[in-house]
Order: sequence, then structure tokens, then C-alpha cells
Amino acid sequence: MDGCQSTIPTYEGDLHVVAAAHHIVKALGATKNLSDDLRKILIDLDAHLSMMTLNTDTKGGRGFVDVEERLKQAERKILSWEPDPRMIWDSGPREASEYLEAVDEIQTLLDGLRGLSVHENRKQKELLHRAMSVLQTAMSRLEEELIRILVQHGQQFDPKHMSSRSIQRDVVYDESFVSVEDEPAEETSSRNCSSDEIGEYIVDLVHAGVIPDIKSIAKVMFTSNYGPEFCEAFIGVRREALDQYFAILETEKLCIEDVLKLEWTSMSSKMNKWTWSMKIIVRVYLASEKRLCDQVLGDFGSVSSFCFLEISKATTLCLLNFGEAVAMGPRQPEKLLRLLDMYETLADLLRDIDTLFSEEAGSFVRLQFHELLKRLGDSSTAAFEAFRVAISSNGSLYPFPGGGVHPLNKYVMNYIGMFPEYCNTLNLLLKDQHADVADQDFEPEKGLDLSLSTSCPMACHLRSITSSLESNLHRKSQLYKNEALQHIFLMNNIHYLVQKVKGSELRLFFGDEWIRKHNGKFQQHAKNYERATWSSVISFLKDDNPGSSSFSKSTFKERCKGFSIAFEEVYKTQTSWCIPDPQLREDLRISTSLQVVLAYRTFLGRNSAHIEDKCVKHTVEHVEKLLLDLFKGPPRLSRNSRRW
Amino acid sequence: MNANEYQGSFLGRISIRRNQVVVMDAIHEQELEDIELFQKHVSDRFSELSSPSDDDAILSISWLRKLLDVFLCCEAEFEAILLMDRDPYQLSKPPFDRLIPELLDRAVKALDICNAVTNGVESVRHCQKLAEIAISALDQKPIGDGEVKRAKRALITLMAAINLDDKDGTNAKSTERSWSFGRRSGNKDRVAGQFRSLSWQVAKNWSAAKQIQSTIYNLVAPRGAEASGLPSPIYTMNVIMIFVMWALVAAIPCQERTGLPTHFPVPKQLNWAHSLIGLQEKIADEWKKKEKKGMAGLLDEMQRMEKSAQSLIDFTDSFQFPGDAEKLQEAAGHVAELTEICRIMEQGLTPLQMHIREVFHRIVRSRTEFLDVLEKGSLPVI
Repeated sequence: MDGCQSTIPTYEGDLHVVAAAHHIVKALGATKNLSDDLRKILIDLDAHLSMMTLNTDTKGGRGFVDVEERLKQAERKILSWEPDPRMIWDSGPREASEYLEAVDEIQTLLDGLRGLSVHENRKQKELLHRAMSVLQTAMSRLEEELIRILVQHGQQFDPKHMSSRSIQRDVVYDESFVSVEDEPAEETSSRNCSSDEIGEYIVDLVHAGVIPDIKSIAKVMFTSNYGPEFCEAFIGVRREALDQYFAILETEKLCIEDVLKLEWTSMSSKMNKWTWSMKIIVRVYLASEKRLCDQVLGDFGSVSSFCFLEISKATTLCLLNFGEAVAMGPRQPEKLLRLLDMYETLADLLRDIDTLFSEEAGSFVRLQFHELLKRLGDSSTAAFEAFRVAISSNGSLYPFPGGGVHPLNKYVMNYIGMFPEYCNTLNLLLKDQHADVADQDFEPEKGLDLSLSTSCPMACHLRSITSSLESNLHRKSQLYKNEALQHIFLMNNIHYLVQKVKGSELRLFFGDEWIRKHNGKFQQHAKNYERATWSSVISFLKDDNPGSSSFSKSTFKERCKGFSIAFEEVYKTQTSWCIPDPQLREDLRISTSLQVVLAYRTFLGRNSAHIEDKCVKHTVEHVEKLLLDLFKGPPRLSRNSRRW
Repeated sequence: MNANEYQGSFLGRISIRRNQVVVMDAIHEQELEDIELFQKHVSDRFSELSSPSDDDAILSISWLRKLLDVFLCCEAEFEAILLMDRDPYQLSKPPFDRLIPELLDRAVKALDICNAVTNGVESVRHCQKLAEIAISALDQKPIGDGEVKRAKRALITLMAAINLDDKDGTNAKSTERSWSFGRRSGNKDRVAGQFRSLSWQVAKNWSAAKQIQSTIYNLVAPRGAEASGLPSPIYTMNVIMIFVMWALVAAIPCQERTGLPTHFPVPKQLNWAHSLIGLQEKIADEWKKKEKKGMAGLLDEMQRMEKSAQSLIDFTDSFQFPGDAEKLQEAAGHVAELTEICRIMEQGLTPLQMHIREVFHRIVRSRTEFLDVLEKGSLPVI
């Protein structure tokens, strides 16, 4: 491959020893399975021995003849490419390896010439000068070839193949808190991605086939002390590739000022996008870039990590800045889940970051990541607080029509229904936050175990949130003038609360005691409703004088009339009231029926003597049937009218 | 100067104050005293900055770091005056309901400038790497054609980077185009790295010059009764922030600086502002001289680097082996100068970058604290 094949003739007898050594070196050099280090030593030695021959033969300058001849050959090879419009590495592997051989040859000759002890020799100086000049030409050329190879064989992977799932699952709970009154959202949605679905993919950012070419260029450039040029070229191309990848991810660079001006919906989608891009950039792109740097530059010590840092720093900081901007934005309650996503993603990636930027020089980047994580944590806690404040301060001017489940209740319960997925993070963030509403629903047992789901920080905060919610609902119930409707409203809403807790993982955090207590609460409201509505109606059917078995005819008539009017009044109002839960509606109807129908039947039975068609407007069956019409809710069309 | 020095003593004094039971008048008096002291400190700090020693010429790396320290000190003191023991309600009333949000808006703009400049430091570092290549080539003895060619190539790239228009950095050319080959298109000196500035971007169409303009917009010195009260330190802090950001933008390359204002009005009669105005004029004069000459900026080390690099390019242009002894000697002088500059950059750029980041984080924190107070002040009493 290099000077090993050349022969330096020895004329003088006293050079036999040198010649013998030279032959041994050449023989060794011809061995195939040599380590790179050893081969390099042999080449150096070979060059040195050649020069020793020359050194003793400088009188006539004849010894340089061969060196000059070798230099000329290599020079010819290198210069022949100069006017050629083709790229060497495009022209075929033979051309490339011949070119590299020529550069190696120059390097060998240079080493030899430098190793000579006589510095005043004119011929030596001239050859050295000439070799350096050719070397420079070759190095410039190699730099261009390198850039060309890197650009032409650079590969970008399609992020969509990595995690199509996370894109599909982008439907998330994005409703803004302020829109609570407008359009109740019923469906719960799942969080957009789980933390490790992207996994640790490493891809070839540069086609694997050209890595040996790049390595061979790196080797010869570093050997010739052109390492800095190699690095600058390499960093330049790779940095730009990373920048281009941003476009592929459709991640727009935004300044902080613009992020702060974003509307919630686009903010939310950008936050999602960030979470997604961050994972792909760190886990896939940067991990792959790191491998590329190590593959190409691993043999040259810290150069690899230096280049990696230079390539990735600007882009990484740009990603971090979006996070900073989000963290410093207004503390909207609806931001909470997105913030938690960002927090968890970052927390999850810290290990990767610490590995990627493990060197001292990377500490700047590492530090910024840790700083941002802290900031996102603070911001999440603040958003949590804002959520709580928003719940307790959410006010209404008008009572909610029909006494059904209030949108605030739906919003809050659907929202907190997603908290269990963030349980560990929330526990971590909330552990120093005081749940400021007295936790009446929960009496901790002695020897309290904080790992228990009902006593973890999140559980306390959840109960505190629902207790704020309950107080707010009580305030909202006061807006109804009709006392019975107040109870219907509270019964509906507390029932909804309990159902939401029972039907989800939330029950683990609220505990059975809480559920039992709240079951009691809505049942109490049901009873209160019955009393408020029906006791006055039924009072018409009751005998004021328990001694007698029946009313007088006139009293009966009067009572009948009174009952009918009262009943019809109830019917008229309460058919448009609403109990959305069919089971609850059914239960309440049955228990109402039992009371009213029974009382009515007894009343009619006792006074069967007075019964005439005229005064008994409703039969028992009729009353029973009419009761089924109650709580159907406001007619569909006038759903938005707020009459009550 | 140390950022903590001032802060420590000041906060100490404040906390003593806090423990005193004082009547309103005394508080007011104390406040006026604090404001006066704050402005005296501002004045002292800037006068120190405007008479730099030889080691840290104006707009050198070490001078910029001092400037950042001054910012941090002033900011800490300012925050203490405004927020410590303050009734939040007071800050939600006029004129503060206008002055503080305006200050916070400027703070946000300052954050983007910090980011732009942090990126800009990277391109200074790039120049340093190119200069180091030239140095390593020209440090050889004897210097031959090969070394000279190598140095020249690096120096020309360096000059191209220095003279690159801000805008070129933001023109998103396609990869293929920007890496199309100089050799093939006849431009023999096109070198790698020239197009690196792409990743500078803060955002598309973002402009440092416009950002500075918009921070200056609406800045009015307090008049009448306001001039002696709390509005005055708010104004002072605004001016300091604008000045620091403006100086950073003038010194360090960053996205789009065409049309950078060279002046923003600060009333000359304000005592604390004398040195600051003096500095502003000096920097503005320099900027006007350099403005049309590309993006290198006024960073002292960059200007020196540019001069040496230009001289060395001239040297390489006229070089003929084995070279004229006198010229070789002269070149060696420039190489030594360049080596010194690179040493300073090697030691100073990363700390400068971290320092800018520290300022960034400080502004974020302080903004949060102000927002907290404003929020408390505007909460309805329940």
C-alpha cells in the first residue's frame, strides 16, 4: 500500500546493516494482519531507514533521486485530479484508494525528510517544500470530497415511521377552561403518548456504505494534521442536516415573544409537537448523530464529542427555548396536562441527555436541560393551582337549565380522570404543596402509609379539588328559586361525581370511605327533593283527623281538586327537569311513585263512596303514567333557553 | 466586580428595614433613599465600565462580561426596591399598571435577544477555529507554499464569515445548493463552514434590529411627581436593559441587524445616566463606521482578528517561496496577535455564553416574581 514496496538501493558497504533492517521492516510490513498502530510504526521506520540511506549519501545528491521520483509520482497522481470535473469518490473505489495511496506516500516522504538530521541541505528543503505544497492540494481536495460524500449520502428518516401511534393519538383533552359553559364535552380522551414508544432507535444518518470512505479521509487528514479542517467541514454539513430535519419534523422555530402570544389551541398543538419532536430528536436523531461521530472520529480521542456538541448545541438550545417560553407563559389551568407531558418527556430524556453530553464541554447543555425540567415542574404546579382556583372561582349568573350535570363538573371530572396516568409525576410535584382545603372526607388511620394510593399527595389534592368543586356546585344550586330543583341539581351532580370516581382509576385515590359518604350525600338530596316536592302534594290526601275513615264529600272534592292542581303544577314544571342518568331517574321515579301512588290509591280507596267522574280528574293508573314523564329534561329545541 | 457583592449588602439592609416597625412616612423616606442609592450605584457601575483598563477594552469579551455583571447587580437591587415589603395592590394601580407590564414586555424581548446573541457566540467560535487553522499553518518553520495556501484558505473563509451579511444567515437555501461545489463552479476558495449560520435563527423573519427598535419605542422618562418616586427606578431599569441588549447586539453577530438604532433618548440631566450616555455615543459611532461592512460586529476581539487576518491574507497573496525575511517577521507578529486573540476567545467565549444564559434565566425569574405580585394585586377580594 505504500513505501514498503519501494527499494532504496545501497551502494556502500557500511550500509548493509541499514539495508538488512530495511528488508526486515518491509517483510513485516507485507504481513496482512497488522494492527493499524503497528503498521504506522513500520511505515515510519521504513521512511526513516530510507532517509538514513540518503543521509549518508548526500554528497552527490544521488540518494534524493529516488525520493524525488516517488514524490513526482504521487504528485502527478494528485495533480492529475485538479482539472478533472469529476469527484474522485464518485469515480470508483480504485480511484479513491489510489488517491489515498498517493497521499500516504507523500506523508511517508514528508516524515522521512523531516526526520533527516541535516537541515541545511538545499535539495532536502526543496523536496520538503514541494511535498508540503502537494499535501495541501490533496487536503483541500479531500475536504471537498468529504463534504460531497456527506451531503450526497446523508439520509433523513421519516419520523412518522417511528411513532405513527403517537400521531394518531393526538386527540387529547384540549378544551379550554373558559369554554366550560359553552359546550360540554362528554367523551374522555386518552393522553397522547406513552413515554417509551419511540424506544431507542438508531438510524444511519449517513449511508452505512460510505462510512469506511469517510473514515479513510478522516484518517489521512488527521495524520497530516488537517484534523481541524476535517472537523469544520464535518460539523458544517451535519449541523445543517440537523437544521433541515427540523423542517421534516415540521417544527417551526419560534421566538419567545411569539410563543407567549399563541392562542390556546395552537399553543396546545405546539406543546404536543414539542413533546413528540423532543423524543425523536434526542432518542433517535441525536443518538444516531452521536454514533456517527463515534464511528467516524472515535479513533481521535475527544474530537468526536467536540464535533457532536458543535453539531447539536444550537438546535438543542432552540428546542429548550420553546420549553422555557411555555413555562413562563400565563398559568392557564388547561395547560396542566400538556405541561405534565412536557415535564415527563423531559424527565424521561434526562438520562439520554446526560449520556449524550457527558463530557465537561457538554455540561452547559446538560445544565440547561435540568434547569428547564425544574421550570416545567414549577409551571405545572402553578397550573395545578390555577386549575383549583378556576374551579372555585367559576361563577354563573343563571341557573343551569333543568338541574342536570353542570359542564364545569363534567370538565373537571373528565380532566382529573386523566390524573392517575400522571400519578408519579404529580406526587413528586405536589408533595410540598399544601392542599389548602381541609380534607374532611379523609381521616387517615394511624401508621399512615404514604405509598397508599388514598394518602399520596395526589389523592389529597384530588379530594381537595372535588371539595372545591362541591362548594362551587352548592353555590350554583342557590341560583334556583325552586328548592326541589336545587336538590335535583345537587343530586345529579354529586351522583355524577361519584360515578366518575367509581368508574375510573380515581376510585383508588378517593377510597371507599369517600365513595360511601358521597353516595349518602346524593341520596340525601334525593330524599330532600321528595320532601320538598311531594309532601305538600300528598298532604291533600292525608286525613287531618285520624279518627275518621273518610272525608266528607265536600272535603273530598276540595282535596281532590287541590291534589290535581298541585300534581299538575309539579307535572308541568318537573317534566322539563333533567336527570341524565337513567338508573338514577328510574330509582327516583319508583320511590316517588311508591309514595304518591300509594297515598293516592289509599285516599281514593277510603273515599270510594264519593267518587264521581267529575271530581276525580286522575285515576291511579293515570297518575302512575304521568309520573313517568317527569325528569325528561328540557325539550331538545329549547335546550339553550334559560328559563329557570 | 462581583454580582453578589452589591446584592448581599443591599439585601442585608433591606431585611433590617423589614424588622423595623415604621410609619408610612418613614417608609416613604426610606424608599426615596433606596431609589437614590440605587441610582448612585447605577452611576458608579457605568462610570467604571466607561473607563476600562487595557485588558478589557470596550466591547471586548471581558468588558461584556462586566456589563452583564452590572446588569445582574442592578436588576437584583431594582427588584428588591420594587418588590420587597411591597403591597401588591400598589403596583396594580396607575401608573404602575402600565409601567410594569411595559417593563415585562421589554423583558420578553430581551430574552429573545439573549438567545440570538447566544447563537451568535457560536459563530464567533467558528471564526476562532478558522483562525486557529491559519495559525497552525503559519507557525511552521520554514513557511512554504503549502502552509501559505492552507492558511490563506482558512483566512478567506474567516473573512467570508466575518463579512457575511446578517441576512445570508437567514436565507434558507436548499442543502444541495449551498453545498454545491466551488471547485466545479470556478470559485476555488469556497470553503466549508461558510453556510453554518443557518442554525443561528431565533425564528423566521426575526430581526435583532427590529427587536431593539421595539424596546425603545414608547420609552419615556418619568416627569413631574413621578420623577422622584418609584417610576424613576423602573425607567432606569428599562434603560439599563435596553442598553445592555443593544450593546450585545452591536458586539456579537446575530440575526438581522440592518437598521439597528444608534441612538435612544436618555435625558442628559439625569445624573445616573452620564456614563451610560457616553458609552452609548462611543458604541454608536463605532457602529456607524462598521455598519455597512458586514456582520462581524463590534466585539473587540473580532475587530482585532479581522485586522490581523486581512494583513495575513495580504501576506499570503504576495508570498513567494522562500519569502522575504522582513515580511516573514511581520507575518509572525500578526500570527502572534491572532494566537493571543484565539487564546482569549478560547478562555472567554464559553463563560460569556453561560453568562448570557444566566442573564436570560434571571430575567425569566424576575418576570415571574413581578407577575406573581401583579396577580396578587389584581385579585378581587373574596
